[in-house]
Amino acid sequence: MIENKQPMIEIKNLSKNFGAVEAVNGVSLKVFPKQVLVIIGPSGSGKSTLLRAMNWLECPTEGEVIVDGVSLSENQQCINAIRSNIGMVFQNFNLYGHLTVIENITLALRIVKKMKKGPAEKIAMQQLIKVGIADKAKNYPAQLSGGQQQRVAIARALAMEPKVMLFDEPTSALDPEMIKEVLDVMLLLVKDGMTMVIVTHEMGFAKAAADEVIFMDMGKIVERAAPDVFFNNPACDRTKQFLSQILSH
Amino acid sequence: MAVTDSTLFQKNKDEMSPGLQGKKQDFPWWMVVIGIVIMATFLLIQFNPDFNDAFMVIKAGLSITITTTLIAYTIALVIGLLVGLGRVSESKFWRNVATIYVEIVRGVPLLVLIFFIALVLIPATTNLISSLGGFFIKIGLDSMGAKLVTVNNRAVSMNTRAIISLAITYGAFLAEVFRAGIQSINKGQMEAARSQGMSHWQAMRHVILPQAVRNVFPALGNDLISMLKDSSLVSILAVRDITQIARLYTGHSFKFAEAYTILCVLYLTLTLLLSLLLKLVERKISNDRK
Ligand SMILES: Nc1ncnc2c1ncn2[C@@H]1O[C@H](COP(=O)(O)OP(=O)(O)O)[C@@H](O)[C@H]1O
Ligand SMILES: [Mg+2]
Repeated sequence: MIENKQPMIEIKNLSKNFGAVEAVNGVSLKVFPKQVLVIIGPSGSGKSTLLRAMNWLECPTEGEVIVDGVSLSENQQCINAIRSNIGMVFQNFNLYGHLTVIENITLALRIVKKMKKGPAEKIAMQQLIKVGIADKAKNYPAQLSGGQQQRVAIARALAMEPKVMLFDEPTSALDPEMIKEVLDVMLLLVKDGMTMVIVTHEMGFAKAAADEVIFMDMGKIVERAAPDVFFNNPACDRTKQFLSQILSH
Repeated sequence: MAVTDSTLFQKNKDEMSPGLQGKKQDFPWWMVVIGIVIMATFLLIQFNPDFNDAFMVIKAGLSITITTTLIAYTIALVIGLLVGLGRVSESKFWRNVATIYVEIVRGVPLLVLIFFIALVLIPATTNLISSLGGFFIKIGLDSMGAKLVTVNNRAVSMNTRAIISLAITYGAFLAEVFRAGIQSINKGQMEAARSQGMSHWQAMRHVILPQAVRNVFPALGNDLISMLKDSSLVSILAVRDITQIARLYTGHSFKFAEAYTILCVLYLTLTLLLSLLLKLVERKISNDRK
């Protein structure tokens, strides 16, 4: 449908080894603008490594990563500028512990985008309102619940006005009652048409939000399909097995 | 945030720094006892002519002891920060340079290092500078050469050499403190900063170091106290700190008991005041976060 457009992220034959461990093994994929790609798979299957290669936090052993038409391997000298266009949300939030919520959001605006304090804070407040925790602007991360911290982390990424957002199991470190507040914010982004790549085990969310679901195992893509096909009628036995494990508890 | 496991940072020789140990809820009896000892000594100084005489002489060294410590510590902080960053640098070359420095300093006794730096390294450096001046004159850069040729050994006072020796030594200790501090920060902090487009140095400067320094503040303070005590070693360079003056004083007066009691109590008072001050600052830092 949108195949004729330039992909926002294109991965070509990507492999990443850690010593003898082949974390990712010959993966290719494309994510088009406004598309939501969900990656699932068992622990250790290479999901994080693949995702982190998309902003070069992990530099691949082989293959290519092209973001918005720019090859990362060929443009190492502007990797910081490229990264500033790619938002990333981590499993453990990784908020800057010594800064307040609002300072967490303005830091990169000020030193990467060279914005003045006033305008940066205005953007930060807008994002905090969007994720629903404007009242915590002056608090430190340690004073917030996990769900609140993750929403701040999302606001921090959004403030940079990224072209694409990467999520690495954003709800896996959360207590069950906080998962929904984070997924709700993410659904808001889906509605806004944000391009997203999301590693998650939240199958309900994947069904509701994904344009495409990828199942990874042992560093390879085993199956990729639209969510309704993927969840109701997967082609591979390995996918069926994994889904039955995950849905059974 | 809780201070990282302090045993990680402590040099074993300094495990008993006053003021930084002990449970908070304990009534500080130790402080009362030490306070009484200090008070008693100062009463002796007031009312006993021998003590009074010794004190009047020795206290002249206080400003040297204090300025030597403060200046050397400030330089050591800068060296320590740079070398600590070198220890965790992405570049193999700088990592190795930093490690060589740290290991050499840690492997040689402080007293020997002070001799070596003050009496070998610094003269060698001044010789090098003056022969460099000779070389400049030979190739026609007369004005620059003339200045350098005059640099000699004696141009560097023993006080300066003492400061340089202490700074180089403690630079290595503090480098280890900074390294441990940087490594105590979760890897995710650096990754989050890099993912936002910060350079390695921007992330270090704005995200990692502020948290690392907070974590190791007590260890940095311990080393300041250690350095105050170790500054007594520079007396072997004939620097007129309180230790050297006390030694000179006993040499002709033979009032060992008076001079060395006063010397002990002076160091004890200084370290105690310093550790109380550090504790206050530390408390303020952790309160700022709440
Ligand atoms: N920094 C690393 N060093 C060594 N091995 C790693 C590293 N990161 C990941 N791995 C290994 O690569 C494989 C894939 O890991 P990862 O991408 O984190 O999987 P997932 O996110 O799907 O759980 C695992 O076997 C893991 O142990
Ligand atoms: Mg993972």
